[in-house]
Amino acid sequence: MEVAKRSFDVIGKGVHVKDAREKVTGSLKYAVDMTVQNMAHGKILRCPHPHAKIARIDTRKAEELPGVLGVLTHEDVPQNDWESAWFNYRGKVLDGIGRFVGDDVAAVAAVSSDIAEKAVELIEVEYEPLPHVFDMELARRQDAPTIRVEGNERPPYAVKWGDLQKGEEEAEIIVDCDISYMSQQYAPLGRNACIAEWMSDRVTVWTSSQTPSELRDGIHEALGIPLSKIRVMALPCGSSFGQWWSNNFMLITVLLAKKIRQPAKIELTNEECMSTVKRRHLERTRGRMGCTRDGRITLAEFDHLIDNGGYGFKDDVGFFCVDMWGKAKNGNYAIHGINTNLLTAGCMRGVGDCTLGASVERVADRLAEKVGMDPVEFRILNQITAGDELRMQHSRDNMKGNRDAYIEGIPPHLRKDWPELFCLSSGGTRAILERGASAFRWKDRWKGWAVPHAVDGSLHRGVGVGTGAHVCGVEFEGSSSAVVRINPDGSAKVHCSVGRQGQGSETTQSQVAAEELGLPFEMIEIETGDTDSCPWNHGSLASSTMYRTGWATRAAANDARRQLLEIASREFFDNADIDELDITDGEVHPRAEPKSNRRYSFREVLNELRSETLGQTSSITGRPSVPMPPSTTFARQFGAQFAEVEVDIETGQVKIIDFLAVQDSGTVVNPQVLKNQVIGGAICGSGFALYEHLVFDGETGAIKNANLLDYKLLRCADFPWQAEVLFEEAPDPVGPFGARGAGESPIAATMQSASGLIFP
Amino acid sequence: MVNLHVNSRNVDLDIKPHRTLADVLRTEMGLIGVRVSCSEGECGSCTVLVDGRPCTSCLMLVNQGEGKSIVTIEGIGTPDDLDPVQEAFIEEQGFQCAFCTPGFILTAKAFLAENPNPTHDEVSVAMSGNICRCGAYPYIVRSVMRAAAKLREFA
Repeated sequence: MEVAKRSFDVIGKGVHVKDAREKVTGSLKYAVDMTVQNMAHGKILRCPHPHAKIARIDTRKAEELPGVLGVLTHEDVPQNDWESAWFNYRGKVLDGIGRFVGDDVAAVAAVSSDIAEKAVELIEVEYEPLPHVFDMELARRQDAPTIRVEGNERPPYAVKWGDLQKGEEEAEIIVDCDISYMSQQYAPLGRNACIAEWMSDRVTVWTSSQTPSELRDGIHEALGIPLSKIRVMALPCGSSFGQWWSNNFMLITVLLAKKIRQPAKIELTNEECMSTVKRRHLERTRGRMGCTRDGRITLAEFDHLIDNGGYGFKDDVGFFCVDMWGKAKNGNYAIHGINTNLLTAGCMRGVGDCTLGASVERVADRLAEKVGMDPVEFRILNQITAGDELRMQHSRDNMKGNRDAYIEGIPPHLRKDWPELFCLSSGGTRAILERGASAFRWKDRWKGWAVPHAVDGSLHRGVGVGTGAHVCGVEFEGSSSAVVRINPDGSAKVHCSVGRQGQGSETTQSQVAAEELGLPFEMIEIETGDTDSCPWNHGSLASSTMYRTGWATRAAANDARRQLLEIASREFFDNADIDELDITDGEVHPRAEPKSNRRYSFREVLNELRSETLGQTSSITGRPSVPMPPSTTFARQFGAQFAEVEVDIETGQVKIIDFLAVQDSGTVVNPQVLKNQVIGGAICGSGFALYEHLVFDGETGAIKNANLLDYKLLRCADFPWQAEVLFEEAPDPVGPFGARGAGESPIAATMQSASGLIFP
Repeated sequence: MVNLHVNSRNVDLDIKPHRTLADVLRTEMGLIGVRVSCSEGECGSCTVLVDGRPCTSCLMLVNQGEGKSIVTIEGIGTPDDLDPVQEAFIEEQGFQCAFCTPGFILTAKAFLAENPNPTHDEVSVAMSGNICRCGAYPYIVRSVMRAAAKLREFA
């Protein structure tokens, strides 16, 4: 595991994404495009009340409708709790209680979706309304209606360091805040569907998911059947941002198909996707920060509330901002997760970063204003650099034993390669801020706090800067694995259960395997969706895919490479030490003689294995053989973004005129893929900063704008086409070829860059 | 019976005329490149060309398509034989998840037929009838500009 090599064959190359031709010809199949023979169509009956118990449910009229194949109610459902990844859902599939308007009540299967829709209306339900609460402040109170048996509020998740009293005494200026955030909707253009088919006691599930393994786990928990009897075949997603992990409608589909003894498909409408699955939390930050006259932060105290809606169970929103402002000497952050009778809330891209993180950025900018500092300089002065201690508590709480015990558990020969725990391993914001400020001509364009750099009537223009950080995957729910197989013809296949929501992981994982194997990119194929062929993987969440799965893919490829070299050594190179051999363009040769004629292709090596009568296998299977270090304890990704914004001070309209993002994700594996990730994050973040929010009905909590007409997404002309992305590539000592994570820091940086210059 | 002319072929379909054109193209003809998302004409994913004009097929009843030439993404290129606009979208990576991509490509095709030499700003406005939730917009604009250059070269 060396720090990045000087040059690579495939890493860093802008190869076109593997599925590009399918994508531009419309032939890529998402779950909504999938069918299986003899498939029934399902529809879900949804709760019209914010909180109600089902006193009686009569399905007879629905069952009698010609074409109806069966009805599933809570009475058919095993009463086991299941959990989606990171507590995005915790509860039973159906339990006879509706916890928000739109909650799942029952489901119908019929020969057509039209008939299923009619039948849903024929189900007679007598609801017993229960007291409800929408406001998370009220839901915390002792006398609040109980939404969940576990209570409405999770224990606070807190991190504290330094000496707060000292921090307060040293502060010469203190700024307070109380900031509330509206809820963003994933607004998934691709919608989703799920098909389940049972073969006696085994089930196969097709759906669009970023987390195939977690979905298999969820089915196992909900139904109580062995994991070996569950096969998930995850398909590519449309834009997901964390929406399509494992979702309750998928489990309903599984149970519905079981009940009717026939394959069933439930396809969600756009309205259902936007009002019945999940959304970003409503959040509120109260806090304060203090600094000295020369701009050094001495105190950072924040208390943050998140509403989990009906079924979310989160107690934290990954407050990576505490790490980013790493030079703050004393601090105290607490997060409280609270259930309400609103649509379930879950992790949406940049969870916590776009809210708590944005609050900290906003308060920091007010401090900079008060001490008369440039916001770029203020960040450089106070933000983390490689080697600094990390604050986040999560990793400390979740590690078994203390740091020394952990290191003792690592095989001795690996200890020297392991990073220093609880310290930032690489990167930081200094390099990206300096690079961006220079490229954006920040010094020329920033005219001071609240001073526009251009005025044309009511149109005022100014520039803003924002920064964001995020972990590079998490390890607490299990370590991600991968398998790399070398086939008899010399091609190779990667098996790793990651998502394909457009972030290009099918391509970048293949690049990692190609680089490690020394095989041309075109010789690599990949399977991401089939849990029967892929080992357990956390999936594509928490910016895991490149860092943690990429590590596993590289380790698996390295293991396959070792096996290949051992055979080559024995058969062709007189039992030479395998370190004396190397692979270039898919051919094994002596390392010292790269131009040697003694070259053997993968195919030739594998053929030797095939002809050997005592050979155990005719292909090679590589897998990771050492554990990956816990990445939350050392690795972070960073974004710094610069925007020029025009505000019409009469109408309040805000336009982004120019935009520059600088990203530090370590070694860049595929530049165009990463640029798209960064700009996509910036556009989603700009949408949240400027336009996007769900509107909840005051009486019922129902979502009033669950459609793309009333929920405003940015369109092409709303974001400057000139937007550029630059990279700083501080190589990481652990990440594959020095790469780190990428998905979430881009959106994290946008809130403040796009809107931070606008303040009362 | 409804008669449609889709991707240079005539088909007779024994279907009810109240169904949407998008639904019929997808489920009766297997043209899954007609992506359906919002079902209310907002997102442009279901865009097809009707007599050369981009139309949201989710808002058209199937009989409104009779007697017209309908082109879907499947009608302009295949994985082995791409249209220049499709090639340009690959080269500039004007997509991420690509659910919206067929709609963008067909909108771009119609736009470039009328504006072979557009500016970036004109392209940006012309592409604003479609939604890309992944936010590939700057690369979509660059894809369309590259496509324009390719088409001018062929012309």
